[in-house]
This record gives sequence, C-alpha cells and structure tokens, in this order.
Amino acid sequence: MAWVTWRQHRSQLLGGLALLVALAAAALGTDLPIRAAYHRDALSGCLPPSARSGCDIIVKHFQGEFDSWAAAVRGVAALPALAGLFVGAPLLARELEHGTHRFAWTQSITRRRWLLSKTSLLAAATIVAGAVLSLVVMWWRGPFDTLEGRMGPSGFDIEGLVVPAYALFALALGVLAGLLLRRTVAAMTVTLVVFAATRLAVLEFLRPHYLSPLHRTVIASDSGRHVGDWVLSDTLVDAGGRQISTAREDLAVLHAQHAGIDAQTYIVTLGWKRLISYQPAGRFWTFQLIEAGIYVGLAVAIVLTTLWFVRRNPT
Amino acid sequence: MIEFHLDPRSGVATYLQIVQQVKEALRLGTIDVGDQLPTVREVVADLAINPNTVAKAYRDLEREGLVVARQGRGTFVASTLASSSRRHHEHLRAQLERWIDEAESSGLDDESIRALISATLREKLGRRVA
Amino acid sequence: MSSPLVARALGKRFRREWGLRDCTLELPEGAIVGLAGPNAAGKSTLLALATGLLDPTEGSISVLGRDPLREPAVLAEIGFVAQGAPLYRGFTVAETIEFARRTNTGWDDAGLLAELDPRTRVGELSAGDRARLALALALGKRPRLLLLDEPFAGLDPLAGREFLQLLMDGVAETAATVVIASHVIADIERVCDHIVLLTGGGVRLEGNVEELLESHRILMGPRRPLGTIRGVKEILRERHSGRQLTLLVTTSGPIVDPSWTVDNVGLEELLLAYMAPERLPTPQPPEKVPLRWHG
Repeated sequence: MAWVTWRQHRSQLLGGLALLVALAAAALGTDLPIRAAYHRDALSGCLPPSARSGCDIIVKHFQGEFDSWAAAVRGVAALPALAGLFVGAPLLARELEHGTHRFAWTQSITRRRWLLSKTSLLAAATIVAGAVLSLVVMWWRGPFDTLEGRMGPSGFDIEGLVVPAYALFALALGVLAGLLLRRTVAAMTVTLVVFAATRLAVLEFLRPHYLSPLHRTVIASDSGRHVGDWVLSDTLVDAGGRQISTAREDLAVLHAQHAGIDAQTYIVTLGWKRLISYQPAGRFWTFQLIEAGIYVGLAVAIVLTTLWFVRRNPT
Repeated sequence: MIEFHLDPRSGVATYLQIVQQVKEALRLGTIDVGDQLPTVREVVADLAINPNTVAKAYRDLEREGLVVARQGRGTFVASTLASSSRRHHEHLRAQLERWIDEAESSGLDDESIRALISATLREKLGRRVA
Repeated sequence: MSSPLVARALGKRFRREWGLRDCTLELPEGAIVGLAGPNAAGKSTLLALATGLLDPTEGSISVLGRDPLREPAVLAEIGFVAQGAPLYRGFTVAETIEFARRTNTGWDDAGLLAELDPRTRVGELSAGDRARLALALALGKRPRLLLLDEPFAGLDPLAGREFLQLLMDGVAETAATVVIASHVIADIERVCDHIVLLTGGGVRLEGNVEELLESHRILMGPRRPLGTIRGVKEILRERHSGRQLTLLVTTSGPIVDPSWTVDNVGLEELLLAYMAPERLPTPQPPEKVPLRWHG
C-alpha cells in the first residue's frame, strides 16, 4: 500500500514538501538581518533578569523593526489545517465522488486495511512535516522568544510539539468529513470550520487550566508582568482583595483628576493592588505535552471512528 | 483449420450451428481425419459465445463418432461423414416409413400426420416448419 | 456443488424507496447468468450487495459461501466491474495494473492486454479499451465469480464484441461463474445459459435459458373465446389484432391442436413479455357461454 498511497497522494506530498522548502528558504533569508540587528543592539544584555535601563525602548524598537515578518510567521498557526484540507478531506471524498471506491474497495485488500494503511502513512508524513515546520519556526523565533517568551498564543501555537499534533488532528478530521459528506469541497469546508472551532475552544477554555494558574499581587503602578509568562487576567483589587469594577476605577481616576494628582499614585494610596493570574514560562513544555496529547488523542479517536464507519457505512 | 461463424438470427441453436459447420467441413473435405478442431478457448475468443455451447457441440460430435477428444491435447477428427451418415440415413428412413404405416393404420389422415410430425419436430429440434 | 451466489429475502431500502425487495436467488455454479431488467430494477443494487458495497436492509446474501460484509476477504476471489468501468483516470495503464497487483493476492497478469500502450493515461483511453482494461484486471485475480454491471453501456458494437471476446476467453480459462447485468437483452443473449429477470426490485423470472425457451410457446390463430388448450399450462399474454389472436403460453406438454400455429419464443421477446406490468390471469374452466350462431 506504500506505493499506492504515494501514487495517489504524490502531488499533495510534493506540494507540502515544496511549501516546507519555501518556508525554510524564507526563514533562512530573513534570519540574517534579524540576528544582525540583535547583535547590533546588544539585545542579549536586555534579557531578564539582567535588563539594563533603557532596554524597554531598545526592545520595542527591535520588535517594531521586524513586526511585519513576525506577524507573517504567526500565520504559520493556520498551516496545520492544510493537512486536513488538502490531504485528509480528498482521501475518501474524492473516491466516493468519482465512484472509484467501487474499484478500490472490491480488490482483495479489505476496506479497513486499505484505509488504515493509507491513513498511517499519510499521518507519518504529516507528523514529520509538522515537526520540521515547528523546528524551523523555533529556530527563527529564537531571538524573539528570548525577549517576549513563547507561552502566549503567538508563540505557543507555532512552536514545539503542538504543530504536528494540530496537523494530525486536521488530517483525521478531514478523512472523517470526507467519508460522511462524500464531497471534497464540502468536506474541506467542514474540516476547516471544525478545526478552527476546536483550536479556539481549546485555547480559550482548556489551555488556561492545564495546571492551576499562579497568582501574583503587585502594587498598582507596577506592571507585574514577567517576560515570557502568559498572563491570563490582570485586574485591580482593593485592600480587601475584592475586584474593582470598571465603574469604581473610572470614579477613582475622575477623583484624582479633580484633585490634580496622578491617577496611578492615587490608586496606590487607596491601597489598591493588581492581581495577576498567569501561567509561568517554565511550564512551556508541560503545556505543550498536554495540548499535543489532547490533539493526538482526538485524532486517534476520530480515526477509530472512521474505521468503524467505513465498514458500516458503505456506498 | 476450420473457422466458425455464427448466425444468431437463423433460429438454429448455436451449438447446432457448430455441429453443422463441422459436418459441412467434413463433407467438403476442408478437414480430414486427424485434423485438430479449434480449442474451446479459440472458438469463444473468436465468436464470443458461451464455452459450454462449444463443449456441448464437440460432445455431440463425439457421440456421433465424428470426433474424439484427447485429454489435454484437444479435439480431433475421427472419421469422415460419408461412412457414418449413410448407414444412419438408411436405418432412419426405414424407421420413418414403418412409423407412417402405423399412423395410417391407427386412423390418422394425411393432414393429422403432417400436423403431428410438424409439432413434434418443433418440440424436439426447435425449428419452424412451414 | 455449492451455489456461488445465494440471496434469501434480500432487501435494500434507500431512504424511502426499496431498491430491492424480497429477492431470493440461488445461481448455478459455472453458469453465465444474465441479470436482466429495466433501469432501476435493482440490478446494480444486487451486485453492490454481493460485493459488500452496500449493506442489506433485510434478508441475507452470501457469495462463494460467505457474507461479503462480515468476511471481506472473499473479495479476493470475486472480480467486479462496476457500471462505467471506474478506474483512476490520472493513472497510466501500467500504474493501474500495478495498483491491481499491489491490492490483490494471487495476481496473474500474464499477457494482460499487451496491445495497450502502458504509458497511456486511463482517461485518454476509449470507452472500449477502458472497459476491457477493467475486465482484464478483474480476470487477473483469477476469480471464481465475476460480476459485471452494465458492461456494454457506452460501447459501440465493435467494442462490445471485443469485450465479450475477452470475457468468454477469460471464462473458458478460469471456469468462473459470471453474472452480467444489462438492460439490453440482445447484448447478453448470445452467451447466457441462465437468466434472472428483475423488475421493480423483485425477481420476476429465473431459470435456465434452454428450459425457459422450451417451456414457452407462441400460439397464433383466429380470434375466438378461449377454453383450455391441450398442452397449455398458463396463458401469459394475449393480444388480438382484427381477427387474429396471439398468445404467449407456458406449456405442460406438446401442443398438437391443429387450429393453432405454434412457434418458439426468442429470449428477448420472452423477457419483454414478463417485464410488462399487465399479466392476464390463468383461463378459468370454460363457462357455459351461449355461442352466437349465424343464420
């Protein structure tokens, strides 16, 4: 089945390879100016905890210089979906659409073995591609990660173990969609929608709670944020620890303006503090493992469902 | 080597057409004792007919003593037509004359005898008789 | 000698309509079976059920003694060419053969269509060549049962003849049982020794072709009220034009009544008669109907 899988999906596999090569080339090409600027501005001296004074401005300047590139790289978060759209969805949908399943599924190889072989081989290719992509991004983002960390979604979603896990999930999703919808375009659409919805849901509702968030209370004038942490919430609390509503805050600011004092200073004298809940940067790999595990688990469940369905739900 | 052709609209069963064509070839001398008939595979690949039909035709010819099937090697002509058919014909003709005598003495008139023969011929040989 | 295809009260429903209902069949081994019937009669449905491409709604089907859904390994011994001879259009001929070789055990492609250029794309082949390629692939499995769904559709007469030649050659070599579904009876009349007629999802007629032709006759004669006719078991169709009456009957013995001209029925005519929806009931014992006398 290796030959069969290769022959039927070679344009997809070659396309994916071309894309990876293009991305790697782009990464290589853009890396030089970044590293050059990094050394020119001596940004290694701006890393916590040894940040010099004036580092703030230098760092901001550096980030601004390469902002458009960094934004483009964040688009990599969408790339795993391609495995579902262009490899997974057509796998069964195209066969059913063109009727070639009446040819492929009446040979000696059973339908299940046929599907399992194909899916396994394509899954392996997808994992490798995802891993390569992740490595390229991690290498390219090196300088940025040291300055801003990668616990937040802009770094977390495109580095580490999750990239191949997302791709695997998308692939499995595409295959099942193709079986149930029997039309390639419809399967691609549904795959995209479900993939995006799942990613958002996991990011929004699950990821913040993989481990209990840590809390830090600081005086109101302090930003309280450490580089690299993923801040989940940042609220004002009064001396008794109660959260201060926006209305109350606005009132205080107004009061300060009337009195002619600086709002921040006034808030401090009120005894108000900032309560920050966050996930520390040190938890990066733990979280990566948990999230990758979730997506891989989903992918396996979907594949098993597809295997069961393909026998029970023929033409 | 004999080459068969099929006329699907003649009303004659396929296997019979093959039998007739073999006999025709024997009569004309196109094939002779010892010659090999086309294999079943060759015939069906050419005419696109059921292999059982060809097998049946060859079996009939074998039963009449005209051909003999040698296991694994094919079917070969065993005797010419003249000798076997003439013997058969005299014998059959005499039988028929006796039968007609019997029918007449049973009281059947000419019309009824003809009708009975036509009907029976159609039943047995599947051929339309005017 | 076990039957290569057995169906018992087999039925398949698609949403609201039954594609096949209460179908019971037992095909003879080594026969070439014509599966006849108009479009949407259930022929494709039956073949899809036989190859496990569909699951039955009720009843059961077994091919070569096994349920194709529960024991899909039986497909190694079944050759199937679906309607339209589906193949991968983007593959070359050589790649298609390679596909068949790799997805089948016991593959034998000795001399498989040597006259086709192996580098031609399947999509560029003529319909006839594509059909023959699909058939050759099915035969390459050395199947014991060969199922063909409307193989002649879209083929010109020459291509159809070449297809049939390849098929018969394959049958002579493998002694496989063959089922050919076709709504054009003339295409299969040439080779079938067994016939199954499906209409409206059910089995209308089934049997050995020779026996069926032997047990049916056409009677022609002057128009008159019908009583029982000696040798006639059942009148299937009655047609009259002017003063002539034509009957299609099943026989129980030789018909020697001189007032009728007796003729044989062709297979196509016979099947058409069974396909027509109206069938007349068996003649009742003659009533005492007063005859009209002239003069």
